[in-house]
Amino acid sequence: MSQVLHPIEQKLLKSLLEKQNLTPEDLCEKTQLSIDQVRRGIEWLKFKELVKVNESEKNFVALGKMGNEAFEKGLPERQLVNYLKSIDGFSCEMSQAKNQLKNEFSPAIANAKKNGWIEIYENRILLKGYHDTAPEERIIKLIASKNPVISSVDEIGDNSTLDLLKKRPEFLTFTSTKYTTVHLTEKGTGTAKNVSSDTADVLVRAIDVEAPAPTVFAARSHPLQDVIDEVREIFIGLGFTEIVGNQTQSSFWNFDALFTPQDHPAREMQDTFYLKGLHAKNIGTKNQISNVSQVHKKGWRYDWKLEESKRLVLRTHTTCVTIKELADSRPEEARIFSIGRVFRNEKVSYKHLVEFNQVEGVVVGKNVSLRDLMGLQREFYLKMGMKKIKFWPTFFPYTEPSLQSMVYNEKLGKWVELFGMGIFRPEVTNPLGIKNPVLAWGGGIERIAMLKYGLDDVRELYNNNLGWLRNVSKCQ
Amino acid sequence: MPVVTLYFDRVTSILGKKISKEKIISTLPFIGLDIEEETKNYVNVEYSPNRPDYSTDYGIVSSLQGLLGIKTGMPKLKIKKGKDVIIVNPSVRKIRPFVTAIEAKNGKLDDETIQQLIVMQEDLHNGIGRRRKKTSIGIHDLDKISFPLTYTTTSKNHKFIPLESSQEMTINEILEKDKTGIKYGHLIKNEKAPIILDSKNHTISFPPIINSERTKISKNTKNLLVEVTAIEKNAAEDTLAVIANILQDAGFELFFIKISGANNSTPLLKPRSMVLDAELVNKILGIKISIPKMVSALRKSRLDAQGKGKKIVCTIPRYRTDIFGPMDLVEEVALGYGIENFEPTIPESVSVGQKNKITTTLYSISSVMIGLGYSEVMNLGLVSQRVLYDYTKRDASKIISVSDSKSQEHTILRNAILPGLIDTLSRNIHEPYPQMLFETGTIFLKNNDEIKEEIHLACVSAHNDVSFTEIKSVLQSFLKTTFGLKCKTTTSSNSMFVEGRSADIFVNNKIGEIGEILPEIIDNFKLRVPIAGFEIRLTGLY
Repeated sequence: MSQVLHPIEQKLLKSLLEKQNLTPEDLCEKTQLSIDQVRRGIEWLKFKELVKVNESEKNFVALGKMGNEAFEKGLPERQLVNYLKSIDGFSCEMSQAKNQLKNEFSPAIANAKKNGWIEIYENRILLKGYHDTAPEERIIKLIASKNPVISSVDEIGDNSTLDLLKKRPEFLTFTSTKYTTVHLTEKGTGTAKNVSSDTADVLVRAIDVEAPAPTVFAARSHPLQDVIDEVREIFIGLGFTEIVGNQTQSSFWNFDALFTPQDHPAREMQDTFYLKGLHAKNIGTKNQISNVSQVHKKGWRYDWKLEESKRLVLRTHTTCVTIKELADSRPEEARIFSIGRVFRNEKVSYKHLVEFNQVEGVVVGKNVSLRDLMGLQREFYLKMGMKKIKFWPTFFPYTEPSLQSMVYNEKLGKWVELFGMGIFRPEVTNPLGIKNPVLAWGGGIERIAMLKYGLDDVRELYNNNLGWLRNVSKCQ
Repeated sequence: MPVVTLYFDRVTSILGKKISKEKIISTLPFIGLDIEEETKNYVNVEYSPNRPDYSTDYGIVSSLQGLLGIKTGMPKLKIKKGKDVIIVNPSVRKIRPFVTAIEAKNGKLDDETIQQLIVMQEDLHNGIGRRRKKTSIGIHDLDKISFPLTYTTTSKNHKFIPLESSQEMTINEILEKDKTGIKYGHLIKNEKAPIILDSKNHTISFPPIINSERTKISKNTKNLLVEVTAIEKNAAEDTLAVIANILQDAGFELFFIKISGANNSTPLLKPRSMVLDAELVNKILGIKISIPKMVSALRKSRLDAQGKGKKIVCTIPRYRTDIFGPMDLVEEVALGYGIENFEPTIPESVSVGQKNKITTTLYSISSVMIGLGYSEVMNLGLVSQRVLYDYTKRDASKIISVSDSKSQEHTILRNAILPGLIDTLSRNIHEPYPQMLFETGTIFLKNNDEIKEEIHLACVSAHNDVSFTEIKSVLQSFLKTTFGLKCKTTTSSNSMFVEGRSADIFVNNKIGEIGEILPEIIDNFKLRVPIAGFEIRLTGLY
């Protein structure tokens, strides 16, 4: 099968066919591609085993302090030779030479001897006839001649002499840099020849189906909205009709109508958001207000105040919407539900938000019972894919009996508390003229979303982090 | 919710029968308790304040005994005649009119019992006592007290040694310096303060703030005085009944204290009777059980019950303040019968579900915006002034704030969505561009002290080549595809948009604004990319 090559790849192959072992920078220069294009192309070719990339190190050498001195004044051994040359008879006492060369005396003697330039006889140094340029001198000169360009060790070539100089302190300094070179593999050479000989005209027009394509992101709905929609569909499927209501509510519908006394801790500012300086004008019918106030006075024995019930709050649950709907329409039979934002004055943490979504459903009917309420829960959870559920008693101010449902979560391997439920208290329904029992249940949607998406911090749902929103899969 | 610690060894000894730890733990949820923490020796449970009798392990064990069938029926409160008296001075009438009290004698207190009583007192203060406003409790060493006591008022220069102090303080000093005095001082509104004095004029208590150090209880205390002061008589007796039952369970003998004067009376703490219709029980619970079975279930819930024809006469101990009427008794039957014994059923229904029009419209709006390449984000309605006004230079004259928010980032209600979208962009500067986002949601407007809610749509496009024209194309296409509407855009000035690239949007009336975001605002959000966007009111378009 012939291979399809990207134009970048073709250019790179051609260049490498002309000269192997090029660095990416060399390839930029030759192909006129950008460094990014070259790097990408090399990655593709490497993947196809058409090129090999070598990581190598290049060593450089420069003259050290002593090296520079030696370049100017000659190596110690050369200085010795020159000194001997200047003396009649070309010889001197060791001590004389020592005075002359001082610290460099020892290396001078040793190296001059090694080079065969001198001979030692009875404590005298005799210059011999041969003292041409030593390899060390040649190299020092070579390095110095290139200054300020730093010489590469490979270019100098004479490794054994470099080693000798390396042993002499401060003569040379070495540095190294890493670099990559690219060369064609055998397979690559063949392909490169094909590309160059223009026999692959057809291939040039085709595209590289194997190369990775750039990432694009699908526009989409928010994952939490998906869960809200899913919950809504289930309620519709169970025969419920959706109602909506305001997020700002009078305390009357949020609390009083639900038999929550005006001095109840839940009504304090540290739990509930009150709107500064705002009061509801009309909260309900005369009858509704007077009946509700009566039941409070009788049940809780305190001085119920109309003013208090007019204070505007950010609803703490959607039940205020439900109860107002039931109080206004007083149906004999009904299945209604409501989904929306609710608010709690909480410290924001991994498990609490000041604002979240709640769903609540109610069933009104002459013959509905607690077991029906449990059955509806089971049905709802089954449709959400949750099979193991159980019920525990609990307390809510406006339902009696009250239960909470526990759902077994396979991912976490434990029971998780989900929706609360109950039958509206007579103290709630009687004053508002609701005759038949009202089954009610509800809970936070974020919790379900967290289980679904495997989140352990509820804030993540509202961070709007595009990294998550763009990548979390829609069908889970 | 309040928490009680249950040590298994204590629970076993109070239960009076060896029950396995596992059985105890698995039963607790069925008397309405949430397990908070479980260790080798103890379990912490959360209870709802509607059951003040659950404020110690004694009350909880009493319920466990019922459900486990160890002891059933109502726990009887035995209070013997006493000789001690509290005289109420009429001056308390306008301040804190009621007092009630009981003596508990010949008992033993160990460290854990004292700890349980301290937690109980705190819980009762917060719940039934409404943070001491409605009722407050004092528990004293009876042997340090000489009767009769007087409940009266005093000047704020009155001196005594308050609890946990070594020196005398005046009431004024307590209210200014003492931790509890500072916390509850707001409850003392009058010039005079309520006070309980004994016959030797020793101060016993300064309700609802603090007791005296003199009558402090310890491990060596054998005899107790419990007094409850209140602004409501019934609540005071409810509170006393809860404590009396707990102390009786803890092994104390109870004696009445006579209360006399100024509309007060000696507490009787008698049980109440209530008639329950058996048919109501079966109807509400969806079961068919016989009256004797109901009676047995009620007794397991620690109530007394007797069948009488088709009715059941229930006797409810005074401490069960949560029982208002027959429906509460229905729940007691359910609990005694065992919630785990109820088989869920599905109610018959012929109703057809229906979505709300607003919901379906929003769903369509969302799908059109997604079709235009915009992704949905969700922000909160309760936002910060920084994002909504300061960074975006918007007019803050009609700001709607909430009181006492615990979080600086959530103090005002949004009146626009667009600022939040720019904030969202600022939190995603490391993500690839273009970023095209939209949000629909509720916004809040204030008009003559009335609040109005509307649904808005806002969208932003952020990338290097963004322009007014691009975002206007989106707006036009959105209105046409969603509602079949055409819009006009007319030059305007808007604090968020670049002058000359800012317009009002009209569909008959003005429905919104569109433009390129000011570089200064982009800077404020530490963004480095040009942004264009619009916001329109959806309410009224559908």
